[in-house]
Amino acid sequence: MKPRLRGSGFGFRERLFAARLLGLLLLAISYQLPAISFAQNASPPPDLSSRVFDIARELRCPVCQGESAAESNADISVEMRRIIAEQLAQGKSPAQIKAYFVQRYGNWILYDPPRSGATLWVWLSPLIGLGVLALLLWRYQGLVKKRARASVDGVSEAEIARLEAELNQQNPKP
Amino acid sequence: MQRFLWPLVIVLAVGGLFLWGLRRPDPTALPSVLVGKPAPAFTLRVLPPYQAQWGQEITLAKLIGKQPILINFWASWCIPCRQEGPTLSAFWQQNRDKVLVLGINTQEKNLSDALNFIQQYNLGFPSVEDNGRMYINYGTYGVPETFLLDTSGKVLLRHVGPVSPADLEAMLKQVGG
Repeated sequence: MKPRLRGSGFGFRERLFAARLLGLLLLAISYQLPAISFAQNASPPPDLSSRVFDIARELRCPVCQGESAAESNADISVEMRRIIAEQLAQGKSPAQIKAYFVQRYGNWILYDPPRSGATLWVWLSPLIGLGVLALLLWRYQGLVKKRARASVDGVSEAEIARLEAELNQQNPKP
Repeated sequence: MQRFLWPLVIVLAVGGLFLWGLRRPDPTALPSVLVGKPAPAFTLRVLPPYQAQWGQEITLAKLIGKQPILINFWASWCIPCRQEGPTLSAFWQQNRDKVLVLGINTQEKNLSDALNFIQQYNLGFPSVEDNGRMYINYGTYGVPETFLLDTSGKVLLRHVGPVSPADLEAMLKQVGG
């Protein structure tokens, strides 16, 4: 087994701080970039901060099969990332940005269906399935118990006495 | 008899589910959320061949109220659009007093490709240039896509893929043409 590398000097907190700092730096740069290199388009470049990709990852690429708007390089996904970047720059929240796409494409565009309304069953169905399975098992166990009891109940007292006598005869008590 | 009842019910239920799954029209078809709602507004640049007749820009709001409108998203690189273009053009020539066909040229790399396409298929109906956002505003997930708007500007239906003359006739009937 390989020894795990420890004690690099930076703990989780420090690394989180560094990541946040980098994020802030990128965000700060992203505000400046459009004016510098994208004067022609007057909108931010499509791929700038990880926040853009975090949101894009939760949205489907409409023209792809099984790819999110973060992974795909289709024109529409590039444009979607550009829209996300623009709206982030305008100070919109991820929920507002996702709502923008839901307004145009419906809930289909979301990778996680909302936990309400018609899509609630998607989240509840595993629980319902487990419940049904538990109920079936419980009833089956009851049935098995009942059968076992019925087979004992069906034997008469005389028969039991005869069987016990026979057993005693075969294995005499010491 | 009782023993076979439940297995039979289960087999029939699963079989029924399979049959329903196989006979579903198209599981990848996405219903448009715009149906029944006002069509997203736009003001877009008219492609050069139509500027003499339609001006520099077309604003959707200014066209609403006159005629039902058929908005068609197309691109020169889209193969089904080649099949659809002449059909749409012929339909418009015949029914231009009843419905306005308005093309939106979308996701085009070069304007010259679009102009060649218009020339090649002799497209008579006006087309505007997508500003890069309209196909998202309309919730399209491919090209071609066609939206039928009534005279109040409400979206009546969205057709995905090339339209056939029969599709167009049905749309015309829907708007009372």
